[in-house]
Amino acid sequence: MIGWLLAAPALAVLALAFVWPMAGLFRISLNRTTETGAMETALTTESYAKLLGDDFIRELVWNTLLLAGSSAAIAVALALPVALMVRAASPRWRGPLALMAIAPLLVSGTARLIGWMAILGDNGLINAVLMGLGLRDTPYPLINNWTGVRIGLVESLMPYAVLVLIAGLGRLDPRLEEAAATLGAGRVRTFLRVTLPLAAPALLAAWLLALVLGISAFITPRLMGGGRVFVLATEIYDLALEYVDWPAASALAMLLLGGLVLLMLLRGALARLGGRRA
Amino acid sequence: MICWKEALLGLAGLAATALPAAAQDGNPLTLMAYAGIFRENYAEAVVKPFESGNGARVQYFEGGTSSQMLGTLRAQKADPQVDVVIMDVTTAALACAEGLVEKLSPDTLPVLNDLDPQARQAGGDCGPGVTFDHLVMVYDAQAVKPPPTRFEAMADKAQKGAVGLAAPPNIQGLALTAILAKAHGKDWKDISAALPALKAMAANAQTFDPKPDGYSMILNDQIRFATGWNARAQLYHDQSKGRLGVVLPEEGTAFQINTINLVANSKHRDAALAFIKHALSPAGQKAFTERMFYGPTNTKAQVSPEAMQRTALAPEYRARVIGVDWNEMLKLRDNWNQRWRREVISAAPR
Repeated sequence: MIGWLLAAPALAVLALAFVWPMAGLFRISLNRTTETGAMETALTTESYAKLLGDDFIRELVWNTLLLAGSSAAIAVALALPVALMVRAASPRWRGPLALMAIAPLLVSGTARLIGWMAILGDNGLINAVLMGLGLRDTPYPLINNWTGVRIGLVESLMPYAVLVLIAGLGRLDPRLEEAAATLGAGRVRTFLRVTLPLAAPALLAAWLLALVLGISAFITPRLMGGGRVFVLATEIYDLALEYVDWPAASALAMLLLGGLVLLMLLRGALARLGGRRA
Repeated sequence: MICWKEALLGLAGLAATALPAAAQDGNPLTLMAYAGIFRENYAEAVVKPFESGNGARVQYFEGGTSSQMLGTLRAQKADPQVDVVIMDVTTAALACAEGLVEKLSPDTLPVLNDLDPQARQAGGDCGPGVTFDHLVMVYDAQAVKPPPTRFEAMADKAQKGAVGLAAPPNIQGLALTAILAKAHGKDWKDISAALPALKAMAANAQTFDPKPDGYSMILNDQIRFATGWNARAQLYHDQSKGRLGVVLPEEGTAFQINTINLVANSKHRDAALAFIKHALSPAGQKAFTERMFYGPTNTKAQVSPEAMQRTALAPEYRARVIGVDWNEMLKLRDNWNQRWRREVISAAPR
């Protein structure tokens, strides 16, 4: 009882800032858009039926999963050495190193993307070097396509993956690795046969968190996709602000939210499993 | 008792000083319209003369895009905080259909009788057209020589990676499609006639979503060609001392019309009607056209020939304007959007 009382202010804020707007969004999703585009108050699931029966939306779901899944995997793969380095560091250096790894989160995501646009653009740093060295006659397209979006997304997801991995790897018992070394296993073998299997739940949890964040990412595909990258978040934006079809935009947002909640539940279950194994 | 009275008076005084300055200035009417250079110029050319001529105050509220303004109107339907709204014709049609803006007739607003028929028709029963703008091609005048005259210059193989096209559902992409459909076929609604030309241009496209916009990308050396709206393009042309070239292409152009609307249940209805009357008057129209090169919708506006020459209403350009029915476009755009994605954008990978 006392726990509920203590949580009451936070729950009230959550209800006001999240549940209430979500309820409003759900209500709008049940309205109807007339042929002229005007919104009509109604209680219908027409928008949901239209979206679920649309081939293009299915294509967007696939695009979104592929982009977020691959970016999350690359982010986790790049985050693992960083997390291992932090784990191996002396306690004195662990804090500053972890802070450096997540430092990108201290900078606005939009500002970071604008920086990427300056680096990856046709007249950007990388193409200037490539062309300056005579390796390319024309700029290599690193932006306004899927490659650019993936680079931006990996960079933005990596700090989150590092955080989860630092937490997960911190629970591993170093004596197991020491035992493997005592028994004659080299560093690589110890890593592959002991560290990696034990870190698997943390890796999966990191990938799932990055996946969820990647699926809902909007700014990166919008700014770095050059109008060639279509994912669910950009479609919601177009439906809401270009088509002004709020019922459809709300319905798609609700469907996306439902999918993300399922993924978060899965992540929670895996985290619990990982906690028990560790 | 006296102490209580003094305390209450003191509190009232504190409350009065804490109130926003706007509220103390006689509760001004609120105009919601575009931000940036539109605001800068509209406030100077139209709002300030209205304020000085009528002794009224206008609070300019930057509403973002037209669809964001529609969102504001929807959210404030029960208690509108805005009195007058300027938004594009397609979004205004939705606001009119949803009863968010009032119907207007010459009985309440005689100036409607002086408007160009297209401006009158644009708003349907609600607010009429207050500005005419039109699609143009903008280019880097330093890098592209001789100056291009047709949209098809964007399909020149030498411009590979140097073109910024705004794809549908962006209104520029819809207008470009309609213009090319009309130029290569007979009917602006027949997208099939436009597709070959669009694919040829798309092959050169660096982006189908220029950010922040085509004008800035050209001035920052990122691209050499883009589509744009005439009024802003003319202003950037002047500001860049001619670096940004502007051309009304031979294939044609289409009007983009902004309408001015009286918000339903406005709290300052009479003042709002007076402002709309001023905005549509020959003086208001002349001032804004000469400042920002939007075409006037009032046929009695005596605009200088130099300014008129930089709008699509100049005699030599009028024939190039194709009549796009934007309400009809609302029914076509979903199909056009899909065809762009599947046949134009997907055929131009990077």
